Amino acid sequence: MKERADVLQGTLALMVLKTLDVLGPLHGYGIARRIEQISGDLLSVNQGTLYPVLLKLEQEGSIASEWGSSENNRKARFYRLTRDGRKQLRAETRDWEQTAAIIARFFTAKAEHFQ
Amino acid sequence: MRALRRSLKRLTSWMHREQDEARLRAEIEEHLAMQTAENLRAGMPPAEARRQARLKFGTVEAIREDYRTQRGLPFLEDLIQDARYALRRLRKSPAFTLTAVLTLALGIGATTSIFTLVYAVILKSLAVANPDELLRLGTESRCCYWGGYSQDKEFSLVSGELYKYFRDNTKEFTELAAFSASESAVGVRRAGRSDPAELYPDEEVSGNYFAMFGIQPYAGRLLTPNDDRRGAPPVAVMSYRLWKQRYGSDPSVIGSVFNLSDRPFTVVGITPPGFFGDTLRDSPPDFFLPLAGDYDINDPQTHWLDLIGRIRPGAAPTAIEAKMRVELKQWLRSHWGDMTANDRAKFPQQTLFLRPGGAGITSMREEYEHWLEILMMASGFVLLIVCANVANLMLVRGLERRRQTSLSMALGARASRLVREALTESILLSLLGGAAGLAIAFAGTRLIVHYAFPATTGLGGIPINASPSTPVLLFAFVISLATGVAFGIAPAWMATRTDPIEALRGASRATARTGSRTRKTLVVLQAALSLVLLSAAGLLTAALAHLANQDFGFAQDRRIIMQFDPRLAGYQPEQLTPLYRNIHDSLSGVPGVAAVALCIYSPLGGNNWGAEVWVDGRPHPGPNEESFISWDRITPGYFSVIGNPILRGRGITEQDRTTTQHVAVINEAFARKFFKNADPIGKYFGRDEMGSRLYEIVGVAKDARYLDFGLDKPVAPFFFLPVEQHDFPPAPGAAEVSPSSHYLKDIVIVTRPGATVSVAALRHAMASVDPNLPIIHIRTLKDQVAGTFGQQRLIARLTSFFGILSLVLASIGLYGMTAYNAGRRVSEIGVRMALGADRAQIIALILRGAFALVLLGLFIGLPISLAAGRFLGSQLYGTTPYNPAVTLVAVVTLALCALAASLIPALRASLILPHEALRAE
Repeated sequence: MKERADVLQGTLALMVLKTLDVLGPLHGYGIARRIEQISGDLLSVNQGTLYPVLLKLEQEGSIASEWGSSENNRKARFYRLTRDGRKQLRAETRDWEQTAAIIARFFTAKAEHFQ
Repeated sequence: MRALRRSLKRLTSWMHREQDEARLRAEIEEHLAMQTAENLRAGMPPAEARRQARLKFGTVEAIREDYRTQRGLPFLEDLIQDARYALRRLRKSPAFTLTAVLTLALGIGATTSIFTLVYAVILKSLAVANPDELLRLGTESRCCYWGGYSQDKEFSLVSGELYKYFRDNTKEFTELAAFSASESAVGVRRAGRSDPAELYPDEEVSGNYFAMFGIQPYAGRLLTPNDDRRGAPPVAVMSYRLWKQRYGSDPSVIGSVFNLSDRPFTVVGITPPGFFGDTLRDSPPDFFLPLAGDYDINDPQTHWLDLIGRIRPGAAPTAIEAKMRVELKQWLRSHWGDMTANDRAKFPQQTLFLRPGGAGITSMREEYEHWLEILMMASGFVLLIVCANVANLMLVRGLERRRQTSLSMALGARASRLVREALTESILLSLLGGAAGLAIAFAGTRLIVHYAFPATTGLGGIPINASPSTPVLLFAFVISLATGVAFGIAPAWMATRTDPIEALRGASRATARTGSRTRKTLVVLQAALSLVLLSAAGLLTAALAHLANQDFGFAQDRRIIMQFDPRLAGYQPEQLTPLYRNIHDSLSGVPGVAAVALCIYSPLGGNNWGAEVWVDGRPHPGPNEESFISWDRITPGYFSVIGNPILRGRGITEQDRTTTQHVAVINEAFARKFFKNADPIGKYFGRDEMGSRLYEIVGVAKDARYLDFGLDKPVAPFFFLPVEQHDFPPAPGAAEVSPSSHYLKDIVIVTRPGATVSVAALRHAMASVDPNLPIIHIRTLKDQVAGTFGQQRLIARLTSFFGILSLVLASIGLYGMTAYNAGRRVSEIGVRMALGADRAQIIALILRGAFALVLLGLFIGLPISLAAGRFLGSQLYGTTPYNPAVTLVAVVTLALCALAASLIPALRASLILPHEALRAE
């Protein structure tokens, strides 16, 4: 249970950073929608778990936030990527790709490769 | 780096957490609104749109919690929040809170109060510089004199000469100080005043005494080695207490002359306030005098000094000990010529021990350690019962809150958080109880100190401070915390076992079983502990009764003891005989007085004189023969005045003068020990190895108890000498044997039946003899005897108090348990009654449940109480720790209380009307 949450949080943070990188400043709901659209059901049940992640990222200085108004004129908090965040995103993307590549190699490896 | 920034951020965000909370709430609101709008656009009905939005968002509470843990200092924050929440809940149920806090206060207060005593008597160091550098001579405290060149087990008292030998040869001590091992007092009169002398405790100390302790004067100066020389001007140091209380901190006291037992001393300074000498005792010295004033310092074989030294940094205590053992042997050898055959025989065994001296001379510790242990144990048991009771209360509360707990869990609260909540509440309760307990402890300690160490008016009283010190506060805090955890664990554990669905479905049915085993265990534990305390109290009370109701061999009714001290008024030996005659005549003239006699010490007055005794015509006793016999000196007519029957021969009469044959009256034990079945009348004995006159035995008195120790043993051998026969040994030019024994101190007065004699009249009669005679106290012989058992009485009473307290608490616990269970079984009882059970059967049903627990408790408690009896050991004074009568009384008392406690709910249950009970279901 806890372990899954940890994995989720790590990947979620990366997703948030990437979303903000691609779409620019966005409110929480927007981020949630975007992640939902792309990741399918990962966030479809517990959208709320996004907010603690946002807070953590903000505390780390990767993102910043301010109040603004949304497209239909509602008050909403907008998050944007900071310079640190951009750096972090690059680093983590690299890490992630490396990890993914290694894992992928393992999955594609045939039995004879292990001998 | 990032982690650091985050911590800083957390810290600052903790400061404005309210704001953050509001921000999160707003964001969640926005999120839900947007999602709802989206759902509406997708064609959902409004209510469904909102519901779906919420479902998708997830449990708000859990996210909030998560958010909080991300944000600030969650632990601290939760703690504050939990505490606030717990306080609010406690406020909402004042009856519960009050009961719990009061019960806890009793338990914690009792334990803390006993701990205050334990700390003061056993754990505390003297108020001196670096007490851990101090070493004392001897493993146990000895009083007060030891003659000769050998001591049993260890050399722990030293003579003036031996002290100087140690001091000058043991360079591993920066200072080695000596001071008198006995308690003494001086008659004090400020020079130039005519009011009668007042009696204050004093102590003779070596010149480096204060330097050794590292103490600075409060005013003036303290004693120095210069004062401790033969021929030095006599000076004294006064205690801060006396200076403040008696002389109102008058600065002119310093430098002025005081007559101490009619010798002039200049008071040169005042000790600091916290200093009460080297020994914790109930009348700490008010005057410190240099040893040089005492001639005994030059008598090598009168050992009367205790030693404490401060070791040089780096010196090893074991090495010093080894060195001093060698020094002791060397010194003894240098006196080989003066040693008796017995001393020489014991020479190889002579040794000494050094022990940590930071607590000073620990005679109180040795005396009270065991009974403080007993009381600590008893109060600990009470505290356990208190814990069990409060745990029971908490469990019931927890059961009643079950629905709420379930709801919290259903809403996403974490189990760990609920446990913490329950624990916070219990710890909060116990801290409140602890705070209230401190007040009880303060009052309790004062009360115990007052009864255990009654202070004589005008004297300092025992320097035990009842007000809580840091260690006591710490103890109370820790014990409260431990208590809180102890009684909070069960309810907290129960909280985690809540199954939300179960609880919400039907609270009353689902919870019938849960927790009842825990609660039953608690009741069993209470019954067992209560039995242990009750039987301990019973054993101690029985032992006290056994001691106090024995045949003392003298009459207690109509006897008054007046203690005075002719030496303090400066009387010389040759003035004593007329003085005693005048006192006798003057007091006999007081209306209501039937007869008067004097002695050195009256029965159970706390004094003891002893001498080595040898029977004429037999060899002197060898080194291992017990021939040290207690004795007293008395005026004519003494035996009839004290009511001690003469069984054979005669008592002491006016005809027994210095010029006539020296005589003695012995007791039965003396006759048995030395003469077996032979008739002792007309036989002769002597005392002290150096040789005294021979005493002719003229009478045998019934065994009477004079010594206030060994109270459980048969009366020891004893003999009485007439006051007028001064004992000059037959050898020409020999000094008188024990001349100071002619200073009689106790006046025994018999009043006429039915007459009342006022204390004022007695004082007046004494003043008419000599207004300067200091009267130390006037009390009835009954009070004097009762005072001998003060300590035993106090322990018995305190243990009984704890026993009764535990009984009451256990009964409340059993009542609560039974009432609660009966309440849960209302429908069952209804069914039973509908099926034809009658009231008696219902009562039996409820009682059976309660008594099963009590019986189990008794079963467990019995072996523990037997063990407790063995632990009491010496406090039982020879009565058996397996006293079936006491056990029976304890069991019956407990059973009766249990019956009373469970009968009420049983009766109430039997009044249930079946149709109502069933309808309620």
